[in-house]
Amino acid sequence: MFEVRHRSSRILLQLLLALLTLPFLLPLVEMVKGAFAGLGFQNFVVVWQTGVVPTFFKNSILLSLSVIALVYVGAMTAAFGFSKLRVRGKEVYFWLMIVALTLPEVILLSPLFVTFTKLQMYDTLFAVILPLTALQLPFAILLARNFYDGVPTELMDAGRIDGANVPQLFWHVVLPLTKPIASAIVVLTLINAWNSYLLPLVFLQDRSNQVVTLLPQFFIGQYSNDQTKILAAAVMTAIPTILAYVLMQKNFERGLSAGALK
Amino acid sequence: MTTKSTTAAGPVRTRLSRGPSPSTRGRNRLNGLPWILPAFIFVAGLIYYSVGYTVYISTLDWDGLSPTAIAVGLGNYADMLADPVFWASLRHTAVFWVVTFVVQTFLGFTLAAIMHSRVKLATLHKVIIFIPTVLAPATMAPVFRLFFADDGMINNILRGVGLDSLAHPWLADASTALTVIMMITIWQWTGLWFILYYAAMSQIEPEIIEAARLDRAGNIRTLWSIVWPACRGTTVSLAMLSFIGALKTFDVPYLVTTGGPYHSTEFLGTYIYRQGIRQAHIGYAASISIVLLVLAIVGAIIIGRANRRKAGE
Repeated sequence: MFEVRHRSSRILLQLLLALLTLPFLLPLVEMVKGAFAGLGFQNFVVVWQTGVVPTFFKNSILLSLSVIALVYVGAMTAAFGFSKLRVRGKEVYFWLMIVALTLPEVILLSPLFVTFTKLQMYDTLFAVILPLTALQLPFAILLARNFYDGVPTELMDAGRIDGANVPQLFWHVVLPLTKPIASAIVVLTLINAWNSYLLPLVFLQDRSNQVVTLLPQFFIGQYSNDQTKILAAAVMTAIPTILAYVLMQKNFERGLSAGALK
Repeated sequence: MTTKSTTAAGPVRTRLSRGPSPSTRGRNRLNGLPWILPAFIFVAGLIYYSVGYTVYISTLDWDGLSPTAIAVGLGNYADMLADPVFWASLRHTAVFWVVTFVVQTFLGFTLAAIMHSRVKLATLHKVIIFIPTVLAPATMAPVFRLFFADDGMINNILRGVGLDSLAHPWLADASTALTVIMMITIWQWTGLWFILYYAAMSQIEPEIIEAARLDRAGNIRTLWSIVWPACRGTTVSLAMLSFIGALKTFDVPYLVTTGGPYHSTEFLGTYIYRQGIRQAHIGYAASISIVLLVLAIVGAIIIGRANRRKAGE
């Protein structure tokens, strides 16, 4: 967008870019520097030896996979119905769900706390999986519906003439075309589930049920005066996310920008 | 996963196998209700149940556990209007929204424009700017507490360049804590703004830019009169996204400053949590939640309307 003819202005632009990027890098530098301060790599060993790290990771993986599976199945089937099939009062159902996009999750806390306690689901992963899925689904359905709308109906008509029923059309004709939007939905859901904090904070009390976003708090409780261990724990939780992003850059960028735009 | 897909597909298949007459069969084959109902019942059930229940709780004076709850009607809402912390939270949310939106838009747009020019190491810069977006605020909170601490990196840099007078414990000072919360948010979300503006700029026809250049429009002039208006759709979407995001703000202020010092970084989300979970004023917290929900819906409608009116001009 900037037209730079002279060498000096090109260098200036490059410098400007570096200058603007630097502030994004500094906190990451501080994190790594802090994690290696004092005992160096030993900080990580100490954190690992507490034995809780694998549990927190396992729970986060379980949580994310469950939410992704539910959101994927729910969004793909519902969006298919909304886009390609006849439903009386379709838009009413649709908008009732879309309104939920504005819903702050903090509203769910009191009602779900009371309800989950009664149902003895409090302090189980279900107490986080269910509301997270409900919060992620409306947007995933919106994205998937917009995508299905772009799939030509003629494709389905052709399939119907060949005698395929609706589930067959869905499975063999439509679903194979949805890879781009599906990967965006999966990545978006993954980030939101993996990074979720408030719901786990309220609904997961026992250490054996907690997830990675609660790890720093746990270590603050363990080593209140030792920043280096807390930062080592932060690095350990950040690495998988950063690795996943660097390896699947395009998917992450598409998924998150799909999350911002209709 | 399997159970869910079978419940979604099951009713269709059974009805098809029964299939009485060819004509009704053709209509039934396209009936989408069984496809949308599982997701709809799940989402609407959980969310509207919670909202309805919250409305009910908001009329109670209750701690959430004791069997006796006193009905107080709109008493909680009246208390709210007289609660200075509630108003402070609203004020912080408004300031937070305007500042983070303006700064992120400026930075995201500028960075996207720079990356669309011929610069070296573009991918590296992009990755660095986008990484914060994928990291959990909960993971970064301890880092930022250190970063802005008295002996943290920010103060070391300030002292290093001779600005000792500016160095102070940023988070412990009620006059700068909110600024820090906004800086962290900007750090986290500019990457997304950048990616979206970058994508929007890719959609602009190169011929239009060329034409502007032939008319001897300078860089800034071209950006302002051609590129910026062409990205309007992105800007409006981001305005709406950041509005709802501002209302939902919880993780960063809760983890970095716990809403303090002296409520100077209190947001609606942190205040609801403080009242509802910490102090067990569940009824009062519920009433603030309802106000928050109404604000989110009304705000989203207003921004959406304004956008449509402007687009119709």
